Amino acid sequence: MTAVRADPAAAPARSGFSGALGRVPRSVWPLAVFVLLFLVGGLIRPNLLSVDSLVGTATFAMILAIASFGQTVAVIQAGIDLSVPNTIAFAALGFLTWTAAFGPVLGFVGGILAGVIVGLANGVIVAKLGLTPIVTTIAMNGLLFGVVLLTFRNSELTVIPQFLTDITATKIDLFGVKIAAVLPLGLILMVVLQLVLSFTGWGRSLFVVGSAPHTATLAGLPVDRIRMAGYALSGALAAFAGIVIVGFYAQASATMGASYLLGSVAAVVVGGASIFGGRGSMVGTFGGALVLGQVATLVNVANLGSNIQQLIYGVIVLIVIALYGRRTAE
Amino acid sequence: MTASSVTPGLLGRRLWNAPSFLRLRREGAVAPVSAFLVFFVVYVIINPELLTRFQLQTASNLVVPLALAALGQLIIVLVGGIDISIGAIMSFSNVVFATAMVSLPVPLALLAGIGAGLICGLFNGALVAYGKLPAIAVTLASAFIIGSISREVMDRPGGGITPEFYLATSGELLPYVPVALFWLAIVAVLLWLLLQRTALGRHIYGVGSSADSVRAAGLNARGAQLAAFALSGVIVALGGIMLAGSTITGDPRSGDPYLLSSIAAVALAGASFTGGRGSIIGTILAACTLGLVGNLLFFAGINSYWQYVIAALIVISVVGLPVLWRRIYQAVRGVRA
Repeated sequence: MTAVRADPAAAPARSGFSGALGRVPRSVWPLAVFVLLFLVGGLIRPNLLSVDSLVGTATFAMILAIASFGQTVAVIQAGIDLSVPNTIAFAALGFLTWTAAFGPVLGFVGGILAGVIVGLANGVIVAKLGLTPIVTTIAMNGLLFGVVLLTFRNSELTVIPQFLTDITATKIDLFGVKIAAVLPLGLILMVVLQLVLSFTGWGRSLFVVGSAPHTATLAGLPVDRIRMAGYALSGALAAFAGIVIVGFYAQASATMGASYLLGSVAAVVVGGASIFGGRGSMVGTFGGALVLGQVATLVNVANLGSNIQQLIYGVIVLIVIALYGRRTAE
Repeated sequence: MTASSVTPGLLGRRLWNAPSFLRLRREGAVAPVSAFLVFFVVYVIINPELLTRFQLQTASNLVVPLALAALGQLIIVLVGGIDISIGAIMSFSNVVFATAMVSLPVPLALLAGIGAGLICGLFNGALVAYGKLPAIAVTLASAFIIGSISREVMDRPGGGITPEFYLATSGELLPYVPVALFWLAIVAVLLWLLLQRTALGRHIYGVGSSADSVRAAGLNARGAQLAAFALSGVIVALGGIMLAGSTITGDPRSGDPYLLSSIAAVALAGASFTGGRGSIIGTILAACTLGLVGNLLFFAGINSYWQYVIAALIVISVVGLPVLWRRIYQAVRGVRA
């Protein structure tokens, strides 16, 4: 799984140790750092070195990762999706409202469809009107906030359909370990998305559009259509994240997505994606979320408070871009 | 533009090509300035009371912090970057100032607040200019860091802002003119002089349009970049201080909403996000437009939740329509040729 290559460009042949290091796919690094942090946690407090603690961190990380998969797609094709927070809120509230009215299947389809429409609108404005992705998605985020407040008058809903609880919050017994259903669900999603990115023509073309849009146009790729489809997928994934979050935490509100604005970008960046596009992977993003999740666990255990956790998040992002950001500038 | 009526056409063209107007056109500010004028006229028609002292003062207290945040964002955009940490810097200088006001005299507290913004700007700027890291990623990291530090400085709203300070920043200090607008005008004029009339200002614009050319001309491109971030930090800090003055509190989360709205205002101002193009007056008027949408809806008796939708549509249409217009114009010309 970790052997999936995230790097579309062939690594230059280098000799010896640094050459071998250079050939390691980027998505391995965040996973390695996570293992290291996990062991460090064990040194500080031995009971952290347990399967239960691992599962706890992984579940927390998986929620963040699911919310960041759409962001990964957007960043790979040299964009960014700052409409993730309110797409999450809109899809979650829409899902609950429509489930109450039309049943869970239509509610689910409606929620995802809402995300697709939002993403498609982003894509059309970016690709056809040529507006900057940041500006477009910020405007979309604001627009969605208004729509959420106007459409769902009771902006706090807590009646969760049983099937959604079953696929997210219910504990499954796997080889004697109790894990929340969201973990395998997210892992399956990650593998499917990674396969799409790595082995389908459309997936590969996202990387080309992200790293060299002009070249892609000259090569005859339908750049605009690839972009629009990329944003549509990003919106659909954010909507799915909204539904999963509502299932796991059993509540929805208009501001439920706020923490995923910077959180999703941070997970993608720590996962080794280039903020300029053309580089990134789903496995890497999950690794990035795991690193952030383990930091949260450690900060919790050390009783330092969420403030220090944010501070450490910032320092981690800084370290990661100091390691990667310069290399892209070469 | 056809010469059916010669004199008005000529007059129009002369006005269109007048130097000050030419600058507005080059800086992409015609659309936002027109949008503001339309907005302002609609506002005054719906609610003539705006021009009364109390309402004008309330409106300017609402708009001035946003305008200052947007100006800070504009400077970063001019050098080709974007600042994700702008809300955090605003909160930080806000709480540092409010905390300093508890024990220090006002001038020292002001210095502390402005210094807080300056340090944040220098931190971002050093990493971007000399660490050669992308601005968006650096400021993402510092958004987390600075945000957490401001919550360490003050974990809940409070601080020692005095009613006298409210009077001086947001109250009725001057006859008729809201004093907040007066301070904004001073900052804007000084900034304009700095950007348009000094070598440093031209370097900042130059770095944004072509850093390589600036470097090839033997100028200090990195220094200009660092200076831009420092300047932006100071102006955003002034925004944080004005916000503290108008709300009479320091709040570690008060700057958060300004991240997205400052970027929206700069976009509405027609600034180029690849750098080198952007207008000060356009940015201020764009901030006024976006900041007052909610008020307008309130007076028009419309559910104020519509403000988010309408603000977004204003940004997209004002920025998008000229592009669409150019596309259609080129297509038509292409057919004719």
